[in-house]
Amino acid sequence: MDPLVLGLAVAVVTVLVLFSGISVAVGLLTVAAGFLIVFDGMRSLELMPEIFFAKLNDFALLAIPMFILMGASIASTRAGADLYEALERWLTRVPGGLVISNLGACALFSAMSGSSPATCAAIGKMGIPEMRKRGYPDGVAAGSIAAGGTLGILIPPSVTMIVYGIATETSIGRLFLAGVLPGMLLVGLFMLWSLYSTWRSGDGSILSTRRYSWRERLEIMPRVLPFLLIILGVLYAMYGGVATPSETAAVGALLCLVVAIIIYRLMEPSRLWVVLRDSTKESVMILFIIAAAGVFSYMLSSLFITQSIAGWIGGLDVNRWVLMAAINVFLLIAGFFLPPVAVILMAAPILMPILTTAGFDPIWFAVVLTINMEIGLISPPVGLNLYVINGIAPDIPLKTILVGSLPYVACMVVAIILLCMFPDIATWLPDAVMGPEI
Amino acid sequence: MSGSVSTRIARTGDNRFLKFVAAVSTLAGWVSAAMILAAVLITCEMIFVRFVLNHSTIWQTETVIYLVISSTLIGLPYVQRLRGHVNVDLFPMSLKGRARLWLALLTLGVTIAVVAVMFWYGYEYWRFSWDRNWKSDTVWGARLWIPLFALPVGFGLLLLQLSADLVALILKIEKPYGLEES
Amino acid sequence: TELRLSHQWSTSDVRHKVAQMVADEVAAADVDLEIKIFPSGSLFKAREQYNPLTRGQLDMTVFPLSYAGGQQPAYNLTLMPGLVKNHDHAARMNTSPFMEAIEAIQAEDDVMTLVHGYLAGGFAGVDKCITAPEDVEGLQTRAAGKAFEQMLAGAGASIASMASSEIYNAMQTGVLQAANTSSSSFVSYRIFEQVSCYTPAGDYALWFMYQPLLMNKSTFEDLTPEQQEALTAAAAKAEAFYLEEAKKEDADSVKVFEENGVEIDQMTEAEFNAWRAIAKETSYKNFVEEVPDGQKLLDMALAVE
Ligand code: NA
Ligand code: NA
Repeated sequence: MDPLVLGLAVAVVTVLVLFSGISVAVGLLTVAAGFLIVFDGMRSLELMPEIFFAKLNDFALLAIPMFILMGASIASTRAGADLYEALERWLTRVPGGLVISNLGACALFSAMSGSSPATCAAIGKMGIPEMRKRGYPDGVAAGSIAAGGTLGILIPPSVTMIVYGIATETSIGRLFLAGVLPGMLLVGLFMLWSLYSTWRSGDGSILSTRRYSWRERLEIMPRVLPFLLIILGVLYAMYGGVATPSETAAVGALLCLVVAIIIYRLMEPSRLWVVLRDSTKESVMILFIIAAAGVFSYMLSSLFITQSIAGWIGGLDVNRWVLMAAINVFLLIAGFFLPPVAVILMAAPILMPILTTAGFDPIWFAVVLTINMEIGLISPPVGLNLYVINGIAPDIPLKTILVGSLPYVACMVVAIILLCMFPDIATWLPDAVMGPEI
Repeated sequence: MSGSVSTRIARTGDNRFLKFVAAVSTLAGWVSAAMILAAVLITCEMIFVRFVLNHSTIWQTETVIYLVISSTLIGLPYVQRLRGHVNVDLFPMSLKGRARLWLALLTLGVTIAVVAVMFWYGYEYWRFSWDRNWKSDTVWGARLWIPLFALPVGFGLLLLQLSADLVALILKIEKPYGLEES
Repeated sequence: TELRLSHQWSTSDVRHKVAQMVADEVAAADVDLEIKIFPSGSLFKAREQYNPLTRGQLDMTVFPLSYAGGQQPAYNLTLMPGLVKNHDHAARMNTSPFMEAIEAIQAEDDVMTLVHGYLAGGFAGVDKCITAPEDVEGLQTRAAGKAFEQMLAGAGASIASMASSEIYNAMQTGVLQAANTSSSSFVSYRIFEQVSCYTPAGDYALWFMYQPLLMNKSTFEDLTPEQQEALTAAAAKAEAFYLEEAKKEDADSVKVFEENGVEIDQMTEAEFNAWRAIAKETSYKNFVEEVPDGQKLLDMALAVE
């Protein structure tokens, strides 16, 4: 059978299998097993556990559970609330201080957490009730946190950037840096929208903030300082020659756990277990998908589908920006249904050769890809962050959360367009810090 | 949607088999979490040895990799019990009553079959490494049967939890996909 | 018939060209045999190729044999410091009783060699030249292969294990001060931008790695005599090409490093012997202890003139 036709068959079958409600990881294993049996013979099943194990056999993957643990340990404390409170007290004259502070706290927290749901939960637990109490519309309160949480995978550290780095053999340190400025750009866009929409909703007085005395401003600092120090420490370890990004993750995880235990008195074994349980749950889920997606992409490669699709697209005589637009639409659709790591693992081997031939920078593309995945996180049907918010504030209807998130999706699309027009937003910082790409 | 954030847990009712499996899976979850913690500590030790003491690091990198792999595999049954494996339940949600039950039985059956395949060939792979005394090609030369043992153990325990889920579904202790009838 | 060949290198690498040459020659022979190449680890990861090969689920691979040293410890002799002195010596290795012994071990795993070939490599230092054992003392060093790690540790270096693709970043951030890898990796990963001194594989080279084109033996035996003949003929042609290219890579790497203003410092005979003395106490000794018949195999390798 022609590999392209076969590829189409795989796509259709995969969609059908995943829509049956089977878990994503097992679904990918099922499709892989099915096609391997039919086209490579029964014996290829023998290889599946071997490939599964081999996909996980990579030191860089270590960073995933570490960065998740890092986020989970802080998320279990009041740190999220402290962060936005500190920001609010210092941003006295800024209109809409509270929502601005919450978004700023999301960005800061993203610098400590590699995953998106953790970021969402950490800030949202206190931030959403507080915003609603002060009269912000439900849509803004929920939407801003859902969107702000997605920064967890754009602002370093980032689980998806690690997976991308492994899949495409690009420097993880460089990828991390590439996410910084686009992350700030996104926060800025989110803030602008939140202010505009609150103001438009009628009561502009919500936006005026309370004045805080210097005493109030200073007394909150000791509670956020440790985290700022952790961020600086992690950055120093990563770019100052102490350790690789994966190793740094372990230091960050240990430091955050220690800070949570000592400063936030997280000493009861039962509360500590909640932290470990939540991070184990998330990292096992992600790593299972990574390994299963690895078996799936083995099947694609073995049946020559990956190579044929790449060759086919590469042979199309289209404008490179038309190509980029098509790739974005594809990623968006995939992101609606699949968790980011699965999309990256399956798409990277197909897209990488095409992108490099068309002259796109893989580091820049990582950022575009990540923002696409962020959109998936706040859109149905698998919008992890929506469900986090739903868990935090069960009385806000899912529909309100969804509608509230939509404008933030628009902000992300704007960011992607800006990135296409000014690729330097992504590539300037890594080039400045680590020298030009090799 | 059974995302990583839901707080649902597989129900056991009064069924002793289900309670037993729940206990086993929880124990596996503890082991998995402990392995991640161990990986954190060993990595920090490695950085210290290399950066502060300027010594060679021989066993740490591999140990940490194997701990993370084992943590993933052994954590599978626990995460299944916590309903932490993400799925797309748009279509099941649109179904009602018996149709939804039959689809749930079908997907669970397929899951059990695939996991059984992984368990069986994982076991064979492990036996192979044991019989032939495979080692990693590093100075440390780890005996590979130790980390590979996580393949049959992890998938075996997952198989156990999945069969418990099947029993719970058939005995109507658990609802299909954990969805409330609306 | 279609055969699948997997390897870990890019399509511009000499090892890919060797595979491509065999595929092209066989196709030209018109014996109903097609070799499909999966480059850049697109089918199996570098170290995961040997098992599928032994089980006939992968037909061919271009593979550093020492990667499978954990499964067949004798293979560690194919990446042992100071065993091979230069490329012509390597070519004599390929036809020696030593290689016959290695091939007998491969046969136990249902594997055979189609194309023999060695690639060489050297050392590079961030702040200074690495030619003698005392040069690495106290330096964080990356070595290519277990036997080299043992020898370097014996010389007082601290060993940091990483893939050759990570050397550049590790040197840039200061995690690493010296590295040992193949000539082609030094060039393709642009290590010349990070180091001040390069010690290439010259008259006295320590680092030679055996990277043959392997095939599953049963798969080969199941081919028709015409197909086997075509494969063998293609392999012979590719082997000659491989040897020439291997020599050229060392020379090219020197040129690239020179052009980028990196100091070139050759290893002297005295320094070579000093390294080998350390290797005898470390890597050779460990090998003999670890492998049944190890001494016999080592002597066979050392006997090649
Ligand atoms: Na982050
Ligand atoms: Na989605």
